[in-house]
Amino acid sequence: MAAAPTTDTVTISINDVEIEVPKGELIVDAVKRLGLEIPIFCYHSRMKPVGMCRMCLVEVGFKQPDGSVRKMPKPQAGCTLPASEGMAVYTDTELVHKDRRGVLEFLLINHPLDCPICDRGGECPLQNNTLFYGPSTSRFIELKRHLPKAFPLSRYVTLDLERCIQCGRCVRFTEEISGDAQLAFRFRGANMQPTSFQLTEFESKFSGNVIEICPVGALTSTKYRFRARPWDLETKPAICTVCSNGCSVWFDYRVGKFVRLNGRVNEAVNEEWTCDRGKFGHDFYNSPKRLLAPALRKEDALRTANWAEAYAAILEAFEPGGNAVAALTGPMVSNESYYLLQKLFRGVFRSNNLDHRWTRHLSAASDRLESKMGMPTVATSIEAFEHKSAVLAIGTSLADEEPILFLRLRKAWFKNGTKVVVACDRDTDADSFAHLVLRYRPGTEMALAGGLLAAAVESGRATVPDPVREDLKRYSPSAAASATGVPEDRIREAADILGPNAAIVTTHRLLDVADAQGTLEYLAGLAMCLRAEFNLYALGANDQGALELGIHPELLPSGVALADAEAAAEVGRTMGIEIPREPGLGTHELLRACADGRIKALWLVGCDPFALHADRDLVQRALEGVEFLVVQDIVETEATSYASVILPMLGPAEQDGTYTNMERRVQRLRQVIPDAGDAKPAWRIFAEAMLRAQPQTPFFSAEEIMEEIARVAPAFEVARYDRLGHEGTRL
Amino acid sequence: MSDVYKSVVKPILAGFGITRRRLMQRRKKYADVTVQYPDELREQYPRTRWRHFLTRYDNGLEKCIGCSLCAGACPARCIFVEAAENTDEARFSPGERYAVRYEINMIRCIFCGYCQDACPTGAIILRKDFELADYRREDFIYTKEMLLEEYPGQSEEPFESKVGGVYVNG
Ligand code: SF4
Ligand code: SF4
Ligand code: SF4
Ligand code: FES
Repeated sequence: MAAAPTTDTVTISINDVEIEVPKGELIVDAVKRLGLEIPIFCYHSRMKPVGMCRMCLVEVGFKQPDGSVRKMPKPQAGCTLPASEGMAVYTDTELVHKDRRGVLEFLLINHPLDCPICDRGGECPLQNNTLFYGPSTSRFIELKRHLPKAFPLSRYVTLDLERCIQCGRCVRFTEEISGDAQLAFRFRGANMQPTSFQLTEFESKFSGNVIEICPVGALTSTKYRFRARPWDLETKPAICTVCSNGCSVWFDYRVGKFVRLNGRVNEAVNEEWTCDRGKFGHDFYNSPKRLLAPALRKEDALRTANWAEAYAAILEAFEPGGNAVAALTGPMVSNESYYLLQKLFRGVFRSNNLDHRWTRHLSAASDRLESKMGMPTVATSIEAFEHKSAVLAIGTSLADEEPILFLRLRKAWFKNGTKVVVACDRDTDADSFAHLVLRYRPGTEMALAGGLLAAAVESGRATVPDPVREDLKRYSPSAAASATGVPEDRIREAADILGPNAAIVTTHRLLDVADAQGTLEYLAGLAMCLRAEFNLYALGANDQGALELGIHPELLPSGVALADAEAAAEVGRTMGIEIPREPGLGTHELLRACADGRIKALWLVGCDPFALHADRDLVQRALEGVEFLVVQDIVETEATSYASVILPMLGPAEQDGTYTNMERRVQRLRQVIPDAGDAKPAWRIFAEAMLRAQPQTPFFSAEEIMEEIARVAPAFEVARYDRLGHEGTRL
Repeated sequence: MSDVYKSVVKPILAGFGITRRRLMQRRKKYADVTVQYPDELREQYPRTRWRHFLTRYDNGLEKCIGCSLCAGACPARCIFVEAAENTDEARFSPGERYAVRYEINMIRCIFCGYCQDACPTGAIILRKDFELADYRREDFIYTKEMLLEEYPGQSEEPFESKVGGVYVNG
């Protein structure tokens, strides 16, 4: 709450205690400096105050020259009242208490008081305020109003109109924060109802948040409905591992089973919001398809086995090593597990056949922007977007791919007027607040990127080496305009908007388009020339970690290229293994090699190639073609039916570990839910396999692995468990 | 020697004397004090708190709405409630919510009656059946089926001893 030193301050008195507060600070917030609290319903610190509920009434007066205080005749709403010099606020007078009782009595008249069956009961601001400030009995003997109960507002949100106190938080959320403006009030007075327009389905990618901010049980979660009461639940901090944003969340669980997820405050990442994909996307923990015991294929059928048999079978099959073995990974695996997997493969199986990428285009190590142009591919933190003057989001629908970044960008526009240029081949949610929308024809990303760079060069703001200038001729703004279908003046305007305090944002989705490499190079070039920041963000929970920790056929942990023999040998020495010299195969080549039998044994770690790879046919041939297939996963997938060995793996919240989000923030997730069945953390599986292959000191905990990671990849020094901050730390 | 007689033998004989006198008196006088359980049972006080019942409304619907308030109030943490939603086809209680699973661990219960106090619908009540001994620990988990009245008012009926004791009223 530290006020910036440059802010003007004013002196006000609160209950006769003088205090300096920033000028214009709202009284509800100012009293917190004295440890006081004003009860509220409609006020929310991340939204504009509206003064709808009158719960926050306080008495206000002004100091007169003679030292006395002249009170205003009526109480004032503390949530809409900015502090000004000489203001005297009283939060604890007879009048204030009477007003509070009155407001609560009024609200409760129209409230069904069905707390015992309400999902909010026990954690409800209306209950709490009534308990502390309200009347203890009711004088209301008339009939209560009756309205529809349990109206399905959306797939995830159930609306109980009887319980609504018309505070407008939900409506304001969709207007101010998520921006989809899907909710509004109908009717007036006691009949006022928050609904979607025309009673259509409430379609929002962030609808789950209104459940949490509703101060009563009017908006409740359809999935959590009647599943538990708050006192039945245990709650622990966690992070969401559904996408690469890595939101801080609370996990609520009951008798060892995950029940619901709520947003947790992390100003650097998600503030307090969550997206629906994450909030409602953790069903796999309770899936009936959970893998709970290892299984081994014997005489054409998978039979439950014990871990020892599974390891023995795997080590025998992977014995040839080198080019004959390979591993592919999914995104929901911890840093520690990725690190040990590559150590197992490089050290024990002498193979670099490792990959975590599933996009169509896989940059070769030499083509990476870091090595080719010296351009980092992740520069801007989520928080920093708030202060960017302009942002170009290209080839991505942020609300779908980086939902929390989307909210931050929207906030930047809403609060600070950041100019957002949205370039995508389809409609995106960001169009609604975009300064400029560049709608290009699918497949013309490269032309647009080239056109933008060419426009910047033409306007004289960017200088490029001559060969590039020559090359750019084919993408002069007019040529780019005719290729992409974006009007020429828009291309020029977009290029003009970008400058030193701008950021260019795209995601790994761009690696699926034709000419991805060229597009990326133009974009990075554009950023470089204009001294803007360039970001190519990951999509999966820990894709970034997989990349940093060497789940890559040509890169070692800390991004050292295999081709750099000396540096690679050094990394090997720190790891205590000898790094095989021959580069491995990328995902597509690797699957082809499986299909034609060159690779004999394949290890799938938390990934279902059928779901992740574009070419189903190739995947099927690969899984059929490979002699020995290890499927290590949390739940049964299409791939498990092809497995020779199934290894059950614990989910992220069932083990200790760290995850690297798209802005390279490493965050720790401690074990929340107890182990499921016989499943093990991925790192333990790799550690035990290593131990069986070669006698060595095993790792006993994820923390020990992080210690080694920090030695091998110095960037992770800040991620050692004793240093990792509460909000995580950026590498 | 006479010391021994005086301080040891005489008091013993005196004690036996009391015993003999009592034996001589009519037995009935003491029936008020000693109840010959299990052959006999004494009527209990109206607010005795023993075995729980989940009661029903007169129309047969369950009173319990699965709100878990009893579980929240229970100092022994021995109640487990899992709720579900009533539908028009399958209606167990009035309103939206009912308990699909309701369990009390009778070994842990301290018969404080807080659950009864907390219950907003008067569903859970502690009645007079005190014959709760059993042989296996698992049998002490009383499930909803065991706790629920078979018909409205069943819990109000006098408790019948499982071992066939008859009521003697003092
Ligand atoms: S539904 Fe909840 S958040 Fe929305 S207006 Fe009613 S009380 Fe407020
Ligand atoms: S009587 Fe007391 S200890 Fe027993 S279940 Fe009820 S609240 Fe718990
Ligand atoms: S017995 Fe009463 S307090 Fe317990 S869940 Fe049922 S209704 Fe709620
Ligand atoms: S909180 Fe101030 S009027 Fe609602």
